[in-house]
Amino acid sequence: MLKWLLLNKETSLVIHRWLDLRAFLCAGVARVTRVVLAIGFVFVSTLPLCAASFEKEIQPLLQKRCYKCHSGAQAKGKLRLDSKSAAMKGGDSGPVIVAGKSSASDLMERVTSDDSDIRMPPTGERLSKAEVAMLRQWIDTGADWPASADLHWSLQPLNKVPIPQRSSERVNPVDAFVYAELSENGLKRSPSADRRTLIRRLTFNLTGLPPTPQALAAFVNDNDPQAYEKLVDRLLASPRYGEHWARHWLDVAHYADTHGNDHDYYRPNAWPYRDYVIRSFNDDKPYARFVAEQVAGDVLFPKDPQATVALGFLAAGPWDHTLMSTIREDTVDHRMGQNLDRDNMVSTVMSTFTSLTVHCARCHDHKFDPIKQREYYALQAVFAGVDRADRPVDLDPKIQARRRELRDTKIAIAAKGFDKLPALDAPQIADKIAALTKDYQQRNEHWQLLEVAKVLSTSATGDTVFAKQADGSWFVSGARPEKDTFVVTTKTRMRGIRALRLEVLPDKRLPHGGPGRYDNGNFHLSQFRATASQTQPEVDKAGAAMKLEFARVTADHSDAGDKVAGTLDENPQTYWSINPLYNKPHDAVFELKSPVGFAGGTTLTVQLEFAGKSGHQIGRFRLWSSTDAESTVPKSSSKIAPAIAAILSVPVEQQTPDQQRELALFVLNASIDEELASLPDQQFVYAATSNFAASGSFKPAAKPRPIHLLDRGDINKPGERVSPGTTACIPGLSGSLEIANLDDESIRRAALARWLIDERNVLTWRSIVNRVWHYHFGRGLCNTPNDFGKMGDKPSHSELLDWLAVWFRDDANGSLKTLHRLIVSSETYRQSSRRNTTDPVPLADSNNRLLWRMNRTRLSGEMVRDAALQMSGRMDLKMGGPSVVQFKHKGVAATFMPADGSPAFLDYENFDPDAPENSRRAVYRFVFRTVPDPLMEALDCPDGGATTPVRTTSSTALQALALLNNAFLIRQCEHIAGRLAHESEQPKDRAATAFRLMLQRSPTARESEAFAVYIQNHGLANACHVLLNSNEFLYID
Amino acid sequence: MNMSSLHRRDFLSQMATGLGGIALASLLPDCSLAAPAAAHFPPKAKRVIQLFMNGGASQCDLFDYKPELIARHGKPFDPGGGQRVEASISTPGSLLKSPYTWAKHGQSGRYVSSALPHLSQHVDDMAFLMAMTSPSNVHGPATYLQNTGFLLPGFPTMGAWISHGLGSIAEDVPAFVALPDSRGFPYNGRSAFTSGFLPANHQGTVVKASAPQPITHLSAPASATHVTQQSRTDGLALLRDLNAAHAAERPDDSRLQARIKSYELAAQLQLAAPALLDLSAETKTTTQDYGLHQKETADFGRNCLLARRMVERGVRFVQVWSGHGGGSANWDNHTNIPKELGFIARSMDQPAAALLRDLKQRGLLDDTLLIWTTEFGRMPFAQGGEGRDHNGGTFVSWLAGAGIKPGVAHGQSDPWSWKAAEGITTCYDFHATILHLLGIDHTRLTFRHNGIDRRLTDVHGHVISEILS
Repeated sequence: MLKWLLLNKETSLVIHRWLDLRAFLCAGVARVTRVVLAIGFVFVSTLPLCAASFEKEIQPLLQKRCYKCHSGAQAKGKLRLDSKSAAMKGGDSGPVIVAGKSSASDLMERVTSDDSDIRMPPTGERLSKAEVAMLRQWIDTGADWPASADLHWSLQPLNKVPIPQRSSERVNPVDAFVYAELSENGLKRSPSADRRTLIRRLTFNLTGLPPTPQALAAFVNDNDPQAYEKLVDRLLASPRYGEHWARHWLDVAHYADTHGNDHDYYRPNAWPYRDYVIRSFNDDKPYARFVAEQVAGDVLFPKDPQATVALGFLAAGPWDHTLMSTIREDTVDHRMGQNLDRDNMVSTVMSTFTSLTVHCARCHDHKFDPIKQREYYALQAVFAGVDRADRPVDLDPKIQARRRELRDTKIAIAAKGFDKLPALDAPQIADKIAALTKDYQQRNEHWQLLEVAKVLSTSATGDTVFAKQADGSWFVSGARPEKDTFVVTTKTRMRGIRALRLEVLPDKRLPHGGPGRYDNGNFHLSQFRATASQTQPEVDKAGAAMKLEFARVTADHSDAGDKVAGTLDENPQTYWSINPLYNKPHDAVFELKSPVGFAGGTTLTVQLEFAGKSGHQIGRFRLWSSTDAESTVPKSSSKIAPAIAAILSVPVEQQTPDQQRELALFVLNASIDEELASLPDQQFVYAATSNFAASGSFKPAAKPRPIHLLDRGDINKPGERVSPGTTACIPGLSGSLEIANLDDESIRRAALARWLIDERNVLTWRSIVNRVWHYHFGRGLCNTPNDFGKMGDKPSHSELLDWLAVWFRDDANGSLKTLHRLIVSSETYRQSSRRNTTDPVPLADSNNRLLWRMNRTRLSGEMVRDAALQMSGRMDLKMGGPSVVQFKHKGVAATFMPADGSPAFLDYENFDPDAPENSRRAVYRFVFRTVPDPLMEALDCPDGGATTPVRTTSSTALQALALLNNAFLIRQCEHIAGRLAHESEQPKDRAATAFRLMLQRSPTARESEAFAVYIQNHGLANACHVLLNSNEFLYID
Repeated sequence: MNMSSLHRRDFLSQMATGLGGIALASLLPDCSLAAPAAAHFPPKAKRVIQLFMNGGASQCDLFDYKPELIARHGKPFDPGGGQRVEASISTPGSLLKSPYTWAKHGQSGRYVSSALPHLSQHVDDMAFLMAMTSPSNVHGPATYLQNTGFLLPGFPTMGAWISHGLGSIAEDVPAFVALPDSRGFPYNGRSAFTSGFLPANHQGTVVKASAPQPITHLSAPASATHVTQQSRTDGLALLRDLNAAHAAERPDDSRLQARIKSYELAAQLQLAAPALLDLSAETKTTTQDYGLHQKETADFGRNCLLARRMVERGVRFVQVWSGHGGGSANWDNHTNIPKELGFIARSMDQPAAALLRDLKQRGLLDDTLLIWTTEFGRMPFAQGGEGRDHNGGTFVSWLAGAGIKPGVAHGQSDPWSWKAAEGITTCYDFHATILHLLGIDHTRLTFRHNGIDRRLTDVHGHVISEILS
């Protein structure tokens, strides 16, 4: 094998010259060993000199200039240049490549001829001289074509394959392809399954539920030749269809209701995405639109709120709260966390939609598939601007439009885009300015800054240092003690003081900008106390101090769990804190029970106690007093920017036009804020977003983050910067994305979405029809639905797969219901799953790859649960909404989340089986990633840790125990028994009704006998439980 | 080394009993069910007990004695050479010596701190890995890494891989059992014992020793009054007939047979479990050795004693957790080393030492591997006043028993116990060594998932021959 080492980039020029040299060498010298050229190349070769160039030079050339017509099953002139055997065989006009003899190769004549009837490619530019020379030299040296270089099946162009003909019979195309394959292998299809089997199979398959006895009877007795088709239509129209098929999609998206990982926090707004998927299936949303919405619905369909909800797909997988939010921003761990978070988005998108394993190229070029490491990082760059967070959505498009309008105005205000703003001299604005001015003046009189005489810390370490700031506030520094109390002594001449106000201020010297001293900028003010005494003017000492009583306290903002009232209750465990609004001013107003203030001056001593969690002290503060009995939290005073306050302090007649314009903008902005606040609450959806409130070190990216190629995937070894793009491995589809503005992350996603749904993206169309096939037959035509690469499965019926992909894309217009209808209407789907015992075992295909019978499949955990509910008559068919919690924590269902988010022994087993939450369909249950429901886990339900394109079906002792002893299932059997007891009295009759309800058949005489005895001895509930555990119930024939 | 006939017989019997035997058969190219020619190599260990210290046990307060750290106590930390010092959630403080005293122990003269008065008596049985490292300083990814070899969720844990490779020793007990701390699951919850993409029968069976129902679904709930011993016995007989008739008409479907079999296995487990969990047969000396009579040590002691009973009865891999994933009562000692570490160390020390002693006395240590490990270490400098932040730079694990060279130490950290310096050991090396002791070549224990032949050791890992006997 020839190898050359490029010593530096400049040598590339030399390569072209070297090509000529190589042509010369190739002509005469077949083997070269250890030729060292002084110009910087090292040859190490014992094989034909030019063989190595096929994959690097010849194949890309063929791919670029020939594959459009000469590849795939529908190649023109039946000439395929996409695989060695086909290329060497030639087309309608015979072989085109004669190895070792370019002069005898028709291919050379075609690419060099000037005759327009002969020349290839027939249109467009001719091949360059260098390209022609390269081709010639390749043929002359033996036309070496390594087997590994053949274009992989999944990347071959999609062409409309002709349906194999079979007499005059009108045959479902699915059957035509399957029969052709069977007869080629000397196999026969199995007879059709009986109607009982068919309705059970179809109802479970399309809706996830068993047929009711009524539906069964109606179908079995329906004489209409279209009975089956009517059943298919009825089931596809049922909302139960979307609920069942959405669950398949959620497996692949690895959706759950918690974040996963160490603390596994609750993700309260995941469910709108789950409902979106259900709705999309029920509405039969065209697949291309379904794909595009989930990658860039916000950009591509801005007027449809549901298209934004769709972005829940990008966020559905696990998210490491600790890595992304708790761990310091400046650590390697945090950056690695961001990298792995994008990795999850990239791999989920590409595995789901294109069945590619691009994530294998994180550390190096993909070892098996034509995916470059660079392309992988280009895909990371597509998602470099988004994180996973709660994203507000107006589900009403009208409200959404109004909100957008108001937001745009706010943006125009910030940018001073006056052409986009209403007239600033409008009377409403003037009125508002007047009101603001009046309010400001009143407020100014209202609050008086307390003059601080001294501040002391009671901390034992004595390290706390206080420094007075120019604005009258105090900045706190020094080694931070665990607990502390600030004692602030102030003097005032104000009489009749009715309220004290504590203002906490941000400061860039504090962690996260403060105003607290703790690592995240927070503080825990556990107690606020004050005493007053008369100031003695002569000597600097106070009289007897009087403890002040407070009537109430209010704050502009408190953390959800920590209420400001905790500062008055003398309980160190309750406190005022301001998470997550760091780096902003806040205030708390303490109203006195009775006014205070001595003639001759008052000494007010305020104690700020921080007895909560370690190190949570205030970092900068001011104290104010007021005589206003009506004092409440000042609505906006602390929110008025210093610049506006400065203008307001100037008498109106002295204000400059610029200053007045500033005021106008300010009130306009404030009125927009007011209207925004009055709009109905938005629904949050946990989704990809670039706009969310920062929390700890988790902050939105102002602009997409720079993405570098990482040497061996190591965050500490960044290489060149990579721009957004995708893989170029699909012939005829470029891997570069057109992105007008690199600063706008949404454009990147929109470009990828367009690439995914491009009709030339052969992977997208093959991927989805294979996925759907997998869920109908229990096995895909390609049995690795997330991996169409070389390590994946080779399709059993590649022509059928291609036909379905083209038909689905072009004829069915991406309608999944149309695809379902085609597949389930086929004889192949309707055949029996039993092996005809009179036939010899088809040894050649004992595992039924060629589909000479239907596959038997096991019920999923969700199907078992839902079937039990339907049979017991207790199913609540309410659709959508927040996920239902089916476990207890610390004995209580309502407090299901541990306070500190740490995984706990969630109690699924002692959750009341009859609680209303337990009656909902399984798709609505709360999926707790790291502490899954033991029943569902035993039945192989995925936990959302990783994408699950194919569920395993295990048979374990724990699964048997779960089906035998699970409280919910046992209770449903009691309900089934209760229901059936009304219908019959005799044990035999009861056995028969139980069989019909649960197994959709009547018992045999022997079974009837045995069950009657059992019912007599142990009751009907136990008998139903036996049926629920049977293989016949758990497997679909 | 050739496989002796004795080993081959052992191997055959394992294959016959464990479902995992099939997996092993398929992963050994020259080994079919009909004629198993050879395992990878003869195993030294038949079973493993892993004690996992959840939260990041502080190496520099337990095993990693550093005079330099004591000498420079209270001084700012400057490792020199312009190296950046960072901590996960805090600002690096001054160097902090351990509040515990250090002394040499045993013939081997290993330093162990006064935090572990019981374990320190057994250093001559242990092989220490003094320079383990983790690329992650965060509980979630680091715990995944130490258990699965990957930073992300979704991959099988070591116990699951071992179950997949070797199966159970006895049919009536699971191959892999996890005993979480009585207070709750460790970080990452149940995924700390997951089978990931391997079949579900390889996941860790959770035994909550102090819960009213230690094994979920082991028996019918008390509320189900209609379920009696007799209704069960008769019901299972009825089920067997129903399933047999169903399977007879579908003779070529092995899954149906597997489900029928699973009910037999379930019945065996139901019979075996109460005996397994019943400690009344243990002598008072034994239970007191394990500390069952003391509040502080009772929970971890019970789990250690159960671990011994489980390996005796054929469980292949038992994982015992010290500490849960909450804010306290684990090894994540951010605030106050003497208080927090003291508490958890006392709860672990005596039971772990008793387990080692007990295994040895019963001869079980000859073919049982005992491992003590954690997800990362802690910083030599202070967080706040007396706490320590996470440190993936260096930490300590030890192994004892089957195939282990006793009384040795491999690798060492820098003068401050900040970063591993010599004999650096990754989780891949650690896992490769454990698989090696079980007779498995870690590069050949694979499972095809999503386009890749996955391994416990990813694409890394070297067996640490220095600690092998």
